Amino acid sequence: MGEDEAIAKSSEDQNDDGVSESKAVPVEDKESINDENVEKFLDSMDDYLILVDSLSSILRQGWLELASARHSMGASRISASSYDMKYHSAATTLQLQHETASSDVGQPHFVLRKWESSDSPKKDPSDSPTRDPCEAKLEEDKWVQSVSSGLRIRTKGTSESSESREKKAENTGSPLSVDGHAQKERLKALSMFGALAPPKLRAAQLSFETALETLADIANVRASLLRAYEQVQKEMESPIQ
Amino acid sequence: MAGRAPVRTMNSAFIAMIADEDTITGFLLAGVGNVDLRRKTNYLIVDSKTTVKQIEEAFKDFTTREDVAVVLISQYIANMIRFLVDSYNKPIPAILEIPSKDYPYDPAHDSVLSRVRYLFSAESVASDRR
Repeated sequence: MGEDEAIAKSSEDQNDDGVSESKAVPVEDKESINDENVEKFLDSMDDYLILVDSLSSILRQGWLELASARHSMGASRISASSYDMKYHSAATTLQLQHETASSDVGQPHFVLRKWESSDSPKKDPSDSPTRDPCEAKLEEDKWVQSVSSGLRIRTKGTSESSESREKKAENTGSPLSVDGHAQKERLKALSMFGALAPPKLRAAQLSFETALETLADIANVRASLLRAYEQVQKEMESPIQ
Repeated sequence: MAGRAPVRTMNSAFIAMIADEDTITGFLLAGVGNVDLRRKTNYLIVDSKTTVKQIEEAFKDFTTREDVAVVLISQYIANMIRFLVDSYNKPIPAILEIPSKDYPYDPAHDSVLSRVRYLFSAESVASDRR
């Protein structure tokens, strides 16, 4: 009993010392909403800084791999002069969605779409494996495993491998063919620098792909950070009753 | 809300880049390079010979294009056109400042963080709440 009284007294003392407190219920609700927005803002800020830090390390890894590839291939082969300047559209693009939350104006939501070209068959958005970059990565890993087992089978005979690949395609559905397409697009991008790409160049390609995924996340967190900031600012400017 | 342009939906929007050669090479390997029929690219390679005016023009061009969702700009390049980057306040395309090989990321210069920084100054937070 004595402890409860002490706890109640200490919490009262804290209330007196802390930020403006009132006994009226509406102001407390308003305060809790304020706090919620401030928390959202701080969370977004934290996410943003963590993502930027991870982007820095991924990019650093990519640059190192690029430098390593340049060392093996020669500096002149990996430079701006090797860029493909013929007409081509980007294989990796962003899908911009309108996120309608409780507020009237929606927040932009970026989704990375990797390795899609105008030649790829138009699929239903629900089938698109690149809607969620994490899912795409998982499916890619599965595809890589299936391909490696397919390659082993291929040494026995081409007819067997085509059958097994067809069976796998039936079982897994679209991911196999779409990720096969992704591999083709990757090779096309690599071929910009010559027919035989060293492993470091492929590794650099994967690092920069990961960097793109992180950048899509950063863009989303940035949008939520700016939104939370606007809400906090709006509350600060409105008169506190 | 009055005065705010609605966010449009884009299905395959490009990622524009204003960065040094290595960064652009890396991202082109990842497949973001686009060359249109007029041989206009969605990137600008900045080297020692690039002028501030060229960077400004590229920035203005990328931020006014309808098909660009994100503009990646190396932070040291953004510092050269800081007034343009900081005064930019449209939601789309989003301007993301990225580090470069020679200039690591500095949160003090990030346009997003500097915009929200005043919320952390003791003066603004304490005076409103007392």
